[in-house]
Amino acid sequence: MKKLILIILSLSAVALAGHAQKFITKTGHIKFYSDSPLEKIEAHNRQVKAGLDVATGDFQFIVLLKSFEFVKALMQEHFNENYLESDKFPNATFIGKVSNIKDFNTGKDGLYDATVEGKLTIHGITRQVKEKGSLEVKEGKITGKAKFNILLSDYSIKIPGAVTNNISKSIEITVDVILDILN
Amino acid sequence: MKTWIKVLSVLIFASVLVSFLVFYFLYNKPHPNYETMNADYTVSAADLYKSFTANKAEAGTMYNGKVIAITGKLSKVEVADSLTICVFVFNKGMFGDEGLRCTMLPNYCGQVKKIPPDTEVRLKGYCTGFNDTDVILDKCSIVKQ
Repeated sequence: MKKLILIILSLSAVALAGHAQKFITKTGHIKFYSDSPLEKIEAHNRQVKAGLDVATGDFQFIVLLKSFEFVKALMQEHFNENYLESDKFPNATFIGKVSNIKDFNTGKDGLYDATVEGKLTIHGITRQVKEKGSLEVKEGKITGKAKFNILLSDYSIKIPGAVTNNISKSIEITVDVILDILN
Repeated sequence: MKTWIKVLSVLIFASVLVSFLVFYFLYNKPHPNYETMNADYTVSAADLYKSFTANKAEAGTMYNGKVIAITGKLSKVEVADSLTICVFVFNKGMFGDEGLRCTMLPNYCGQVKKIPPDTEVRLKGYCTGFNDTDVILDKCSIVKQ
């Protein structure tokens, strides 16, 4: 009987530990920025869902494209209807890992370099990516930050000739997520 | 100056002016006012969530990019940075609570924070899609009953 109780207690502890290793947000922030000779365009999405399992390093996020907000309504329309075709491809996703998660200690406040690699899917095209970023542990939360560039041509995003000088061929993506422990 | 040259000059000037004005107004056209727009669909929060979990693609074709009025019992109000979000919970999964998340327009944030959980509310907003756990409505307002 004692053994059985011990086994049950051990299993419960493992289950609780496993649960406590996941950090999530549903209000992460992604910015994209295009700097072309004629125009600077930026858009913000503050409803990014992201999750990090600090035991395995598994990291993923999903972004609804219609949640991107632009200053100009016309740009938002073109982004959704012509460039990203968000009716056909409603979201962008990343599924991968923080490959150096073993260097990371959630029990200790601090700033850690992070290397994230995995599959980034935009506009229905999936590509393997590897980017540098940072993870900061502070007061039980993890702030993940990264800045990287993507080429529109890598994701078959076509810009019409008439506005080709208004939009950069390389878009800067800034990721900023504050992950809370999943209770 | 010959008359036809004058007429041609005026026509060219007028067409340049009209083109500029059309471009200017199109370029600077305002964002839609989702608060005053009529809802494309009126549905319960639970049914909207069920539609997406049953068939994400079909529900997306129907609801994404549309203005939707929803009714349901409010589970909680979350505040994150500049966002105030009314949450309707119908499930629990790998990302915690799952259901409907309605991001409120700034002028409704104060009102919804005072609404106690389990109160029946009617909201209207722009559906941006389903992120595999939650249906997202943006630019939401309270619909007076």
